Amino acid sequence: METEIAEKTASGSSTRVYLSILAFLLVVLAGVLVLSMGMGATKIGVREVLTSLLIGHGSGSTDSVILFEIRFPRVLASVLVGAALSVAGLLFQGLFRNPMADPYVIGSSGGAALGAGIGLFLLPRFSFLGFGAAAAMAFVGSVATIALVYWLARTNGRVPVVTLLLAGFAVSTMLSYSTYFLVVLDDNFGLRTRVLASWLTGVISVPRWTQLEVTAAMIGSGLVFCFPLARRLNTLALGDDYARQVGVQVEKTHLAIILAGSLLTAAAVSLGGVISFVGLIVPHMARLILGPDHVRLLPVTAIAGAIFLVLADTLARTMLAPSEIPVGLLTAFIGGPFFLYLLRRTRREYTL
Amino acid sequence: MTPFLEFLDVSFSYERNSVLQDLNFTMEQGECAALIGPNGVGKTTLLRLAAGIAACSQGSVSLDGRRLDALPRGEAARMVALVPQRFEVPFDFTVEQIVQQGRTPYLGLFSGFSRRDRIAVERALELTAVTSLRKRVFNELSGGERQRVKIALGLAQEPRLLLLDEPTQNLDLGRQLELLDYIRVLNDEGVTVLAAMHDLQLIPGTFSSVLLLGPDQEIRKGDPQDLLQPDILERAFDCPPRRHPKLVVENRILLERTP
Repeated sequence: METEIAEKTASGSSTRVYLSILAFLLVVLAGVLVLSMGMGATKIGVREVLTSLLIGHGSGSTDSVILFEIRFPRVLASVLVGAALSVAGLLFQGLFRNPMADPYVIGSSGGAALGAGIGLFLLPRFSFLGFGAAAAMAFVGSVATIALVYWLARTNGRVPVVTLLLAGFAVSTMLSYSTYFLVVLDDNFGLRTRVLASWLTGVISVPRWTQLEVTAAMIGSGLVFCFPLARRLNTLALGDDYARQVGVQVEKTHLAIILAGSLLTAAAVSLGGVISFVGLIVPHMARLILGPDHVRLLPVTAIAGAIFLVLADTLARTMLAPSEIPVGLLTAFIGGPFFLYLLRRTRREYTL
Repeated sequence: MTPFLEFLDVSFSYERNSVLQDLNFTMEQGECAALIGPNGVGKTTLLRLAAGIAACSQGSVSLDGRRLDALPRGEAARMVALVPQRFEVPFDFTVEQIVQQGRTPYLGLFSGFSRRDRIAVERALELTAVTSLRKRVFNELSGGERQRVKIALGLAQEPRLLLLDEPTQNLDLGRQLELLDYIRVLNDEGVTVLAAMHDLQLIPGTFSSVLLLGPDQEIRKGDPQDLLQPDILERAFDCPPRRHPKLVVENRILLERTP
């Protein structure tokens, strides 16, 4: 009898449901990927996409060149950026104990973009193990920004919505205008200017394979790094004091969260620039379905984030074809009102 | 015999303000003590020191003969639990998910819940009568229910010393008495209890001893009937004469019912 109760309470009753959700999302992701690769100026049927993917590069047809040189890298980039931004949002919401935190809102995307811009300017040829200066500096920029906002917004171990939003707003405004200043400084209007300008609005262009490899490595290690933090995020949600009381090393854990979140943000930004609100929408949706347990939220958020951004980017490049809308513009259109709705709700729920 | 909890010449200051000074007292295992004193005298700080989440600037706090500051945090957390006064949860965690967090000192980063962890959570839920609330969202519970969940969270730690910071605050009369019943049950189970109490009327009948932290930082310990005397309380709580808390000992309306 006792065991029976115990088994049931090991959150076991809904484990099956959870795994089905996870499997369902993976299937949706696969479907979205195939469909998205078929869409664009040249329509490619589902069967052609699948056979091309199975056969590989070899076939040499125009379709297969388009798929492998253009569509596949871009869709893959969307997957990476969407997963990274969503998980970073989840981490920052846990860190600030606040559902309004997101890499864009708290300025870490802006910090990463400025860092990447500076890297691109000062050390365009620097490279270490395939990591260019831009990616490395994006990481530095993100860490520095979160550290600053964390320091500005925290009062007595709590981060009230108001101070978080104000600090995040002020810091990210400064950062984005600094990045804009770099664009102005750069008077040759070459590739560098275009890259910088696209970082400001958020554009997923067709990345080079080396670039994809580097960011995939960053995001992969960021995600792996997250898993042991997920349980800690649950404990931290009950407050720093409580977490300390049950033996969690609060400061070290906060630092680990900042580093992991920054790694993810930096990778996402160096690939797609500042894409707003993804890290807000996706974790919120996941939380509505699964509840607040971070251990369960983490994989779902990553996959759902990938789906969300693949869809958004597909829309962005097909809606007004042949011209493209920056995907950052699209997520801002969706995310802005959503952000306001959340703000309204949050204000009602917690009088902070 | 070494005392279970021992404060030895403990001083604590926060940003140059001295909060506690040269505090000395001991508690035996199995005691159920109420900590009383005027507002701002440092009751919460004293509890935080006993839980080991604040470190004293001078002196030492020992638990079962071992200095708390020399114990690894995780080990201390398996001996003592603090149920805080303020407890805000930003997300919609269920009661069960919250109480499970009490097992944190027993879990590694990757290890799952063992049978023992589950049983501890069940017991904690049962002892505080919140088993039926397990799937409810904590933030949607009433004040009394929340208070009991907080205690369940502390109990899931399986502490030998349970520290409670104003457990009856914001509760109606019925819920206050109910909470005292739970505290008595825990104490009977062998848990040593130290609770900061505001309502002095609730002390006799539940608590076996009283710790009075006075405004001049002197601490006195004694039986409830010895310490809850008008002249003592009048001085400690700075009450004007004629309005002094004679009521506490003479008007025992609430307390007659307690076994």
